Amino acid sequence: MSDPAVVRVIRAIGLIPRNIIVAVLHVYRAVISPLYGDVCRYYPSCSAYGLRSVQEHGVLKGSWLTARRLVRCHPWAVGGVDDPPERHHSPYRRTRFGFIVLDRKA
Amino acid sequence: MELGFFGTLLWPIKWVIEAILVGFHSLLTAAGLESEAGVTWVLSIVGLVIVIRALLIPVFVRQIKSQRKMLEISPELKKIQDKYRGKKDQFSREAMSRETMNLYKKHGTNPLSSCLPLLLQMPIFFGLFSVLNDAYAGRPSVGLLTPALSAEFGSASLFGVAPLGLTMATSDGNVAVIVIAIILVILMTGSQFLTQLQIMAKNQSPEMKNSPMYRQQKILLYVLPIVFVFSGAFFPLGVMFYWFVSNIWTMVQQFIVIRNMPTPGSEAALAREARLAKKRQKKGLPDPDAAAPGAVAVEEPKQTTQRQQPVSKNRAKKQTKKGGR
Repeated sequence: MSDPAVVRVIRAIGLIPRNIIVAVLHVYRAVISPLYGDVCRYYPSCSAYGLRSVQEHGVLKGSWLTARRLVRCHPWAVGGVDDPPERHHSPYRRTRFGFIVLDRKA
Repeated sequence: MELGFFGTLLWPIKWVIEAILVGFHSLLTAAGLESEAGVTWVLSIVGLVIVIRALLIPVFVRQIKSQRKMLEISPELKKIQDKYRGKKDQFSREAMSRETMNLYKKHGTNPLSSCLPLLLQMPIFFGLFSVLNDAYAGRPSVGLLTPALSAEFGSASLFGVAPLGLTMATSDGNVAVIVIAIILVILMTGSQFLTQLQIMAKNQSPEMKNSPMYRQQKILLYVLPIVFVFSGAFFPLGVMFYWFVSNIWTMVQQFIVIRNMPTPGSEAALAREARLAKKRQKKGLPDPDAAAPGAVAVEEPKQTTQRQQPVSKNRAKKQTKKGGR
């Protein structure tokens, strides 16, 4: 990499959208989710699945994965454990509050 | 007309809502109610609730059926709960949830209702919100609500004083709107409270009362009023009314279910047994449980599965002398 600083800045900017969505999902899970109690037929619940997939895969792919999961979570679904696809070599780090930041070594 | 992303998404929903509203409105006017009267439109909203909640009955029935099946797997569920008893750290709780979910899947049953129905109700809510707002602001409707009808709907009022399209925030000093909104908030909180209490106090088996789900429900009881107060300030009366009637439906539905199909092992189940027994007595019918007297009362002598060790004759004599066997 010729200019790691520039690359780092661009990548950090690229992380902003997913962190906004992460914040929104945190608020949803804290304020609105309790209204319904436990409803999801899967583990992790749909909102946890959404949070995880946005953290791991970004807004676009994460939304797509979440939308598909929501459609799967219907009254006739068997349910069960259903984790979002994992990303093995993520260049990012998850903070204690679930935000995604650049890893120091990246 | 500029629609935008959400407008496009809501369009078909708004169309259906308008169709149902107009349908009920014409039925009611045919029945002799005045076309522009507030009552007619309020009853049309009730009609909307009836249609939508009736469509959701199969979902509800399905949920109850799978909750009944929970009794079959309750021993296994108990085992999982015992395994993780007292472990409150995140990893144990996660592992417990995973095992529980796998258990449900293994038995093809699931007491939870799933997310999609909730998600489908939300657009209906916002659709009504939007239809009402459009009608009140005099914007063109999307479907069967003709300009004349739309104007009527927009100006229709609860008890002739509080227009359905107004919110507490936009009431502009209209005391009637504020008072009615507050009353609706109180009624909504009350009905929700009753529904929740009914489920929690009467329709849960003792194991369920120990689960984290139960604690969450308890928290819910105190979060809800806050949400209702907030929504009371920003949702138009018509939408609030829709929500309220929908709550009432839930309450009645829950009452019927708890009365007739209570969760086995719960307080409501015992009450139902007692009711049925009384009925039988009145009719002079024999108790089905009494048909096999002693079946329950007499306890079978406990059988040990351990094999009796054979002993030599001499030893056996000694043991009997000692007062053993």
